[in-house]
Amino acid sequence: MSTTSAAPASNFDARNISRPNKVLLTYYIIVSLLSNVALPFVFLPLFFKYETLRYKFDDEGVSMSWGILFRREIYLTYRRIQDIHLTRNILQRWMGLATVSVQTASGSASPEMHVEGILEADALRDFLYTKMRGARGEHEPYDQAASAAMQPADEALGLLHEIRDSLRQLVARGEVKV
Amino acid sequence: MTGPLSQHVEQTSRWIYSGVWGVLVKWFKVPAKPPELPMLPGEIPDVFQPAEGFLRYLKFQFWIGLTAFDGAILIGWIAIVLASPKWGAVLALPALAIAILPDIVAYIAIHLQYDTTWYVMTQRSLRIRRGIWTIRETTITFENVQNVTVNQGPVQRFFGIADVQVDTAGGGGHAAGKEQAGAGASHRGIIAGVADPQRIRDLILSRLRHSQTAGLGDELPEPRVAARWSPAHIAALSEIRDLLQFKETHPAA
Repeated sequence: MSTTSAAPASNFDARNISRPNKVLLTYYIIVSLLSNVALPFVFLPLFFKYETLRYKFDDEGVSMSWGILFRREIYLTYRRIQDIHLTRNILQRWMGLATVSVQTASGSASPEMHVEGILEADALRDFLYTKMRGARGEHEPYDQAASAAMQPADEALGLLHEIRDSLRQLVARGEVKV
Repeated sequence: MTGPLSQHVEQTSRWIYSGVWGVLVKWFKVPAKPPELPMLPGEIPDVFQPAEGFLRYLKFQFWIGLTAFDGAILIGWIAIVLASPKWGAVLALPALAIAILPDIVAYIAIHLQYDTTWYVMTQRSLRIRRGIWTIRETTITFENVQNVTVNQGPVQRFFGIADVQVDTAGGGGHAAGKEQAGAGASHRGIIAGVADPQRIRDLILSRLRHSQTAGLGDELPEPRVAARWSPAHIAALSEIRDLLQFKETHPAA
């Protein structure tokens, strides 16, 4: 587990991911072979899914699309992620694959998105994790919010200083009478 | 019948177990180390496994199942012996093998289940790893947790353990048992078989209380500006007050 995450963690960038790794097709072939009798019915959808699968990770969210006859595109924002599941069965472990499943707070029990065929699954999960809400903790957004709030507050401070200075001048000149 | 047989099974299983574990780690790529989570610098994660009681609890279930299973085989074998002693003699060894072999496998599986279950808690989130053939890791940030449930059955109470169940927002039509088996990944993390459920519950809830949002992906609320007045503001304001008060009390100045 750590062997897959340790190496690419430094230079991993999810934004570069657009296609699943070729190993995924091999995995799909083996899965189809294991289903022996139903092979064509299992393999063809998986093959077309592999061929048309596209990922797009941007700054706000991730989209995933596939399909030939029936096309599907899923888009979700990182902030709305509720749970991240990383699943590896024995075959996937042997081939260095993993399924990263992402859930939002929707009504369905099954995850909204299954990201398959990424060799750097651990790094991808960490990427998603750091983007999801609550992972960075309170102080980072707080600091941003605080610095945003400091702008008008500093204006207020400047005004206060102006008032103080003019008041001081008035007092010095003796113009203020009570 | 469980007396000497149980000792025998336990001894054999223990002997086989270390070998099986080595094979799993080496050939089946079962991670031997606990999972890791991205953390704040210098943070020490809370890494733990189910309590000892959980192992005893699983073994208790195992012995009940074993007694029923082996009892059925024994009764069947006795019936065959009564019907035809010759066939009874022939079937004695296969019956014994059928009685013992699955037990060893189940016994090892229990230990593997125990040894491959990991819980990691950091300041921000929780990660649960579970499974041997299919390894499933669930990550939930406390910010997204909606409620925490502690479940304890009578047998679990006897063994001093309980399950802590952490739910996030969102639905799921799964029966509880199905989730327990890890079939559906549905907005829920189960910290099964811990001896100190109250501590874990309080820990999660205390982190939950710091959260200012509903845990539905909403942004943090706008901080109130009044609460953000710095000492510099206060100093300027009190200077103004002092100037005014000085004027009032000493008009000659």
